[in-house]
Amino acid sequence: MKTEKTAVLASSLCKTYEIGDVKIEVLKDVNLKVETGEFVVISGASGSGKTTLLNLISSIDKPTSGKIVVFDNDLSGKNEDFLAGFRCLNIGFVFQSYNLVSTLTVAENVAFPMEWAQEPGAQIRKQIEELLELVGLQHRADHFPSQLSGGEQQRVAFARALANDPPLFLVDEPTGNLDAKTSAKISQILERLKANGKTIITATHDEQIFALANQKLYLENGKLENLG
Amino acid sequence: MSETSFPFKDLMRRKFQTSIVVVSITLCVAATLLLLLFSNEIGIGISSAIEGRLTAGFSAVFSRFVLFIGILIFILGVVIVSFMSFLMMSQRTRDIGLMKAAGCPNERIRYYFRTELLLIIFLGCFLGVISGILSNFVLTNFFSISGVQPQQVSINLWFIFLVFLTFFFIGVIVGGKPISDAIKVEPSKAISPTQYHGLNRGSSFKAISKSRFAMRIALRSLQRHKSATIRIILCLTLVFTLLTVAVAGGVIADQTSKNWVERAVGSNEVLIANQEVCDQYELLLSKFYVANQSSEFNYTQESYLIPEELLSQLNQSISGISIDPRLITEANITEVPGIAIDQNTGQPNYVGSNREGTSLVIGVEPGKVLNDWFTDGEFLQAGQQWKAVIGDSIAQEMFSEPLVESLTAFNNGFGIVGVCIDPINNGKVIYVPLENLQKAAHVPEINNVTQVNMVLIKIDLPVNYEETLNQIRTLVNETYPQFGVLELNALLNKSLGFLDQMWSTIMFLPAFSLVAAAICLVGYVMLSINEQRQELGILRAVGATPRTIIKIISAQSFIVLLSCYAIGIIAGISIVWLILVPELLITGSAMAEIIGLLLIVFATVFVFALYPAIKFSKRCVLEMMS
Repeated sequence: MKTEKTAVLASSLCKTYEIGDVKIEVLKDVNLKVETGEFVVISGASGSGKTTLLNLISSIDKPTSGKIVVFDNDLSGKNEDFLAGFRCLNIGFVFQSYNLVSTLTVAENVAFPMEWAQEPGAQIRKQIEELLELVGLQHRADHFPSQLSGGEQQRVAFARALANDPPLFLVDEPTGNLDAKTSAKISQILERLKANGKTIITATHDEQIFALANQKLYLENGKLENLG
Repeated sequence: MSETSFPFKDLMRRKFQTSIVVVSITLCVAATLLLLLFSNEIGIGISSAIEGRLTAGFSAVFSRFVLFIGILIFILGVVIVSFMSFLMMSQRTRDIGLMKAAGCPNERIRYYFRTELLLIIFLGCFLGVISGILSNFVLTNFFSISGVQPQQVSINLWFIFLVFLTFFFIGVIVGGKPISDAIKVEPSKAISPTQYHGLNRGSSFKAISKSRFAMRIALRSLQRHKSATIRIILCLTLVFTLLTVAVAGGVIADQTSKNWVERAVGSNEVLIANQEVCDQYELLLSKFYVANQSSEFNYTQESYLIPEELLSQLNQSISGISIDPRLITEANITEVPGIAIDQNTGQPNYVGSNREGTSLVIGVEPGKVLNDWFTDGEFLQAGQQWKAVIGDSIAQEMFSEPLVESLTAFNNGFGIVGVCIDPINNGKVIYVPLENLQKAAHVPEINNVTQVNMVLIKIDLPVNYEETLNQIRTLVNETYPQFGVLELNALLNKSLGFLDQMWSTIMFLPAFSLVAAAICLVGYVMLSINEQRQELGILRAVGATPRTIIKIISAQSFIVLLSCYAIGIIAGISIVWLILVPELLITGSAMAEIIGLLLIVFATVFVFALYPAIKFSKRCVLEMMS
């Protein structure tokens, strides 16, 4: 996968939500091309559709019209089982609200994508240790998400996204709810990922993260604008 | 929104949740009412013994069953009403928290949700009463068509009103508690399911950490909504106990009671007697399954006595048969009190009085008796004189402690040595030694006449039954055309068919409760999904397939069901074994039937509970996460 030139190709992407009789056009004819290893930052006002765009790229939502190709896979007509497997192996998604599974411990939250990928038990245990060390949470392995702070939960979410070593990372407002010190830690993790040649698309307003970007995009009124 | 319209609008906007609560309450009330009305009509009501049909022994077994099933259905109804109210309010805890946080006074919140509760319970109970009456009507007509004539009992409206009120008040009282509890929860906790469900407490159960992924999440989720889990386990345990009593008990009791009838009537047996005696004997046996009144019949007419020549011809010309000569008559009998030693004081006490009645009296030669009645005490032994074994109905009607008492018939005393279960004449029968009866009843001694008026013949297998029967018929028709041959297998089959129908009816009665319980389980699964909705969505977003989601949810249902199934079956079998049926008869086929039926029930409830899981797994990921 890493040898492919284009990581994400979105063409004529539209997304409309219908609430009763009211239609809300969130994305209007969005075109996007992200090369492998690129760090893309998407900014825009609240409600501009940043999260929707990331959801569409990750295939957890379907476009009203248009096409999304991720690593040469056209995700438009694929069934749920294929998409689930594709997400598991190719996409690491860090959600804005962390979205950890409350009934699983920190270690188990990091482990489950690897379990689905049929990794051997010993490999999973080793990987958990490494990932938790990377995000600085080795001492919290047996704790439940509700016993962690927001920043710690965000770092666990990063560790989970890294679990299967996916080539593409989608990161939604990673520092939106965090203090400056914790935000800096998150930026460091993203920097390390970039250095490792991962493709990263993040929705953020954080200047530290902006500084890492190869491509800066701005979303307004459902249209994507390239800031350079 | 005005104060009065909130509860109505709220219920209407939650149509599915409202419907399952109303439907489950309706089913519980309908099941209880149907059980009470219908069992009364078929004559095996909780307190009443059957009139005109069945013997006291059979009636007691049926009534005990109906009583137990009645108690279980009632308790189950209460548990289900409580569970559904709890479920309804558990799903509203967050809303209550939000209302409190927004400044809504507690009293107003209480008013809103109490009004909702009252509306739902009233609607459920009202529909339950209507459904119960309609089901009773349908079932009664169905049984009339299929041959069992239920008694025409007018419906007691006060009785129905009582059932309505009982369930209504239980529902309101039990359902009111979760409302009060939810109102007492601090708004911050009510808003945060993490706090409310105790998620910050971690798991003390280490085995969970070692289980597989789907099982791990399932077990933790069960632990997470402990209160709902305990309620659903209690509810389903009761359901499986009820079903085991109905299914296993029904099958075992069916086989046992049929065995009693078979042993008493005899299989592969024929009766030779004067045609009129044959008809009378048929009438006496049919009293077990049809409410018949027999007119006076003079059993000891000379023309009814069997010629000796017929017996010797039967003995000589037909092989492979056993002969049991009997003298059947009717007599006025009187109870003679006996003396029983008081266990505590050691003092002798008189038991019984001098009750009188009429009974069938059958004289038998103990050594030649073909039948093997289910007997409390013992049957007549060869050489025993002036002893009697009495039928279960006469024992119940006329004696206090039959085995320490005696009776007089034809002015002669007979000591009672046993009480047998016998369908003939509805159990109003007395067996005495043939010789004693001949003397006591002054049966005329005529040359070449045996002084018996009927002969039972058992065709011993492996001889060809039909061929031997034809030989007997030919012999009797050719030599004594006024005598007839009555094949008892046909009568036996009618009795067994009647028992089958009765047991099937009893086994059908908990069906409503089963449906109600299945709805409860669906409600529980929905609650569970509702609580985990976002997390299951996260799993899907991170790469779980819809099948994984179904696995997680179905694992929860399976754990709950299996634990209830195991406890319920053990409890149900124990009740059947210890209380309901004495001297159980469990054959291999009965075991297979029980296991098969209970597995079908388990599978049905499980599949039923899968529906919300399958439906949920098909939702798009974002919808799950929202």
